[in-house]
Amino acid sequence: MSSGLDTAARSPRVAASFSSADRRYEPLENIQVRYTVELPPTAVVRSVERSILWYTEGKGEEDIGVHYFERITERAAVMTAAAAGSFETRLPVSPLSYEGVIVKIRWCARVRLFFEEGRDFVSEHVFELGHVPVAAIVLS
Amino acid sequence: MTPRSNPFATRYTRPGAILPLDGEGQPVDIARLAEDTLRMRGLSIEGPHGTGKSTLLAAVAAAFELRGHLGANVRLRQFRDAVTAIVAVGRAAPGSVVCLDGWNVLGPLAWLVRTLAWLRGVILVVTSHWTTGLPLVVPTSVTLPLLAAIVERLPDHGGSINAADLADALRHHPTNLREALLELYDSFETRIRGGALAGAPDQSAPPNRGRS
Repeated sequence: MSSGLDTAARSPRVAASFSSADRRYEPLENIQVRYTVELPPTAVVRSVERSILWYTEGKGEEDIGVHYFERITERAAVMTAAAAGSFETRLPVSPLSYEGVIVKIRWCARVRLFFEEGRDFVSEHVFELGHVPVAAIVLS
Repeated sequence: MTPRSNPFATRYTRPGAILPLDGEGQPVDIARLAEDTLRMRGLSIEGPHGTGKSTLLAAVAAAFELRGHLGANVRLRQFRDAVTAIVAVGRAAPGSVVCLDGWNVLGPLAWLVRTLAWLRGVILVVTSHWTTGLPLVVPTSVTLPLLAAIVERLPDHGGSINAADLADALRHHPTNLREALLELYDSFETRIRGGALAGAPDQSAPPNRGRS
């Protein structure tokens, strides 16, 4: 088993850009994500998943909700999608991004590559939905 | 203002998110441990709460899954989960490996699960707070080098946490790495909101992470 932090030198690199330069979106707004992939020379990609999702980050167990999902398995399409591509969707009204203390809600665009040898690689790119104020710690 | 990920969130520290490390902070040789488990026909990962038992089990289970040897991987939370364990062992193919996280909750039924596994030729890999009697034992414990090595492998904390914080967290939770990491979560939140959040470096695109 390996993690990206330990195998960074031989891991792919995924760069993403958003239709909104500051990565901030309103509920029901369209989002478009463009990405490019830099693969290690020997990597053979079997399939590609592209998704827009939210997840929680905090001290408890992680929750997740997938808003948009696309899996590409056809060989020619995989070769294209594993090099570069774009995907878009209309964002929902909720949940809104939230910067809490114990829990946070993050939205992200995710590109996931599945390799022939069984490993997979996940690249996540965070953006913000809505304008919920940042929570503050109140010391009593 | 850009949100910053808290590197001590369970998203980054949960079992499977980081490599299992030994007491010196060095990566555990999972391939070798899997070989030894097959040869000895059983593995018991033993230690107190929050010492990395489930992290190590997740890595061993992933190794057996990759080899096609994994019969089941079950998390046991309460005594009635003994039924799940019995079914998992009963359904697993002879020679396959069944991973049970939380062996101690089986209580008096542990002997039944173990006997069933022996009769069916199933290899058990378990985590437990106490001795199980399985042939191969890997003890887990908490040390400062281990905590430091884990923190080093988490997403960048931007200098918010220093060596004294690690020592303090371990002093407060000397036998529980999970609690020590949660204390560091709180320390990070306190400091990042103490003025550093506004204008923090852009971490909206966290580093790529790979999984296998």
